Amino acid sequence: MSANPQDMGNRRDGSFEREPARRVFAAELRECRYQFKDGEDEKSPTFVLLPTGERSNRIFLVGTLTEKTRQGEQNVFYRGRVVDPTGTFFVMAGSYQPEAMQQLAKIETPAFVAVIGKPNLYQKPDGSYLVSVRVESITTVDKDTQKLWVLDTADRMLNRLDALKNGTSPDIVKAKEQYPTLDPAVYRKMAYDALAQIKM
Amino acid sequence: MDYSDAIDRISRKYGKSGKEIDRQKVESKLRRLVEEFGVQPVEAERSVSNELAREFNIPPAAPAGGANGGAGGSGGATSEKSLAQAQPGEWLTFDGKVVSLAGSMSPSIAQSGIIADESGGIRFVVWAKANAPLMKEGAWYHIESAVVDEYKGIPNLKIHSGTTIKELEKTDALIPAPVPVKDLRPGIGSVRAKVIQEWEVTHDRMLQSGIIGDETGTVKFVIWKEQGKQKLAVGSVYSIFYAQVDEFNERLSLNITGATIMPEEGDIATVTGGDGEVRGAIVHIAPGSGIIKRCPVEGCNRALSRQNYCPIHEIQPNFVYDLRIKGWLDDGEKTHNLLLKRDVVEALTGMTLDQAKEIAENNPLGMDEVFLQMRDRVLGRYVVCKGREIDNRLLVNSCELQKFDSGEHAKLLNRAGESMSNTGGAS
Repeated sequence: MSANPQDMGNRRDGSFEREPARRVFAAELRECRYQFKDGEDEKSPTFVLLPTGERSNRIFLVGTLTEKTRQGEQNVFYRGRVVDPTGTFFVMAGSYQPEAMQQLAKIETPAFVAVIGKPNLYQKPDGSYLVSVRVESITTVDKDTQKLWVLDTADRMLNRLDALKNGTSPDIVKAKEQYPTLDPAVYRKMAYDALAQIKM
Repeated sequence: MDYSDAIDRISRKYGKSGKEIDRQKVESKLRRLVEEFGVQPVEAERSVSNELAREFNIPPAAPAGGANGGAGGSGGATSEKSLAQAQPGEWLTFDGKVVSLAGSMSPSIAQSGIIADESGGIRFVVWAKANAPLMKEGAWYHIESAVVDEYKGIPNLKIHSGTTIKELEKTDALIPAPVPVKDLRPGIGSVRAKVIQEWEVTHDRMLQSGIIGDETGTVKFVIWKEQGKQKLAVGSVYSIFYAQVDEFNERLSLNITGATIMPEEGDIATVTGGDGEVRGAIVHIAPGSGIIKRCPVEGCNRALSRQNYCPIHEIQPNFVYDLRIKGWLDDGEKTHNLLLKRDVVEALTGMTLDQAKEIAENNPLGMDEVFLQMRDRVLGRYVVCKGREIDNRLLVNSCELQKFDSGEHAKLLNRAGESMSNTGGAS
C-alpha cells in the first residue's frame, strides 16, 4: 500500500475520453445560439448547446450533399451543403483538415454522405447566427444508412425532449436559460415529419 | 410532381442576365434530387440554381463569420457516519482495526495504511507532526477526531496532532463482505474474483498487472513490488480484502499491493468479462488500420513499422501480413474503442487478406490504398458489434451492418406522434 503518483499504474496507451458525436437534425442545429468552453485551457473543448438540452462538441449527420464549392487561393477550403429531411447543414473542410478536404473534394454531388464533424457557432455582421460544421471525415453512404440515421436522430431527440421535461442536468438548466421560448411541440413535430419522409 | 413553376423561376432569374437554360436538363436534375435523394423542393431548386450560377459564372451569395463564448459550473456535498461512507470534510471518532500498513514514503508521514471497521475500510495517513503512537497491523484502536480529506479522488483519513489514539484490548477478526466487481467504487474495496489475464509488466517496480473478474464484471489490477508480495496465478480465484480502488479517466483499477489476499477453493462459474453488444455508428478509423505487417518471431506477433522494424526483434524482412481495424464506435452518448481482427475485418469490408495483399503489393499507394478502401466501406456506417470489453476497448468477435427496421420506424412514428398530441392537448 502506498500512494506514490506512479502507483496509480493507470497510464496505458494515452487513454482519454472521446467526445461522443451527437445526433441532431439540421433544423435543430440551426437554432443554436449558445457556445461555451469546458475549462479555462486553450485546448479545452468547445461545445455548442443544443436547444433540447445537450452539449455537443461533435456531431454525426447523414444527408444529401447537394453542393460543394472550392474557395480560397493560398488556403484552399471546401464548403458544402448537406440536406436532411428538416433542412440544411453547412459543412466545411480546410487545409487544417487535409484528409477531410480531400474526401470532400472527391465526392460528386448529389450523393448520400455521412459526416463526422465539429459544430461552430458564428455571428454574422448583421447579427444573425450561423452554425457550420468543420468536417473531420466525410464518406459516401447508401440510402439505408441515411434512413438509419433519421431513426437514430429522431430517437435521440425524443429522448432529449423527455429528459428536458423534468431533468436537472447542468446542460438542461442552461438550455432552459438560453432558449426560454423553446416549444417542445415544434421539435416533436420535427421528429415526426422527418420520420414521415421515410416511405413505409 | 410538377416542376414547371420552379423551372420558370430559374429561367426568369437567368433570363435577366441574358442566359438561357435547358429546361429539360433542369427538370431532370430537380427530379433526381427530390425523388431519389429526398431533398426538399425548395432546397433542390436552390441547389440547381446555384449550379447554373457557377456554370454561367454569376457569383452567388456567401456566408460570413465571427464567434462568441461563455462558461458555467456547480458543486455540492453531503455527509454520513460509518467508515465505509466517510466523506471528505467530515470529522470521525470510531473503533477500527489496522488491516494493512505501508512503508512510509516521506519523512513528513509517520505511518500510512488501511484502517477498517465492520462497515468497510479507509486509507489513513499519520503525519509525523501528529506525534501519535505507532500503530500495529492487526490491532484495534479507538480513534478520536480524525479528519477525512481526499487524495487522488479517494477518501483519506488524516491523523493529525489533534487526534487521540487509544489501543483497545479487542482482538476480533474482521471479515469484510466482498462486493460484486461492477459495484466497486473509488476507495477501499473487497472482492472475490478470478485472475483472467496477466499483462506484460510495464514498470520495473511493478510485480504484476492484469485483469480480474467475477460474475458481474472485470477490473484491472496491479501489485507493486514490496517485500513478501507474491504474484497471483492466472485462472485461480482469490478473496482480496481491502484493496485500493483507484479511478482514472472514469476507469477503475485495483491496487492490491497492501490488500489481504487469500486463495479460494473452487471456481467462479462465468466471468462475463463485460461480454457485450454495442450498437452505433463507426465515426473514426485510426491509423494502423487496414493491412499490417507482423513480426514473424514466435510468440511476438507485434505490428512492424513501415520499414519492417519490430521494437524487440529489429528488422524482419520475412514479416507476416494481417488485417485489423482500430476505430471508434459512437452511439451518440458514449464512445467505444474498437479492435477488429482479421476475420471480422474480412466479413465487414468484404475484402480478404489475399485481396488486400494484392493491392498492397501492386497498387502505387500500397498499404495506404487498403486503408482508404476499407475506410470508405465502413466509416459512417451503423453496425452492431459483439465482443469482450477489456480496459475500455472492445475486442470485437463479430461486426455486422445494421439493417433498416420498419418496426422500429413505426414505433418511433407513434412515439413522436403521440407525444405531439399530448403536448398539444396540455398547452
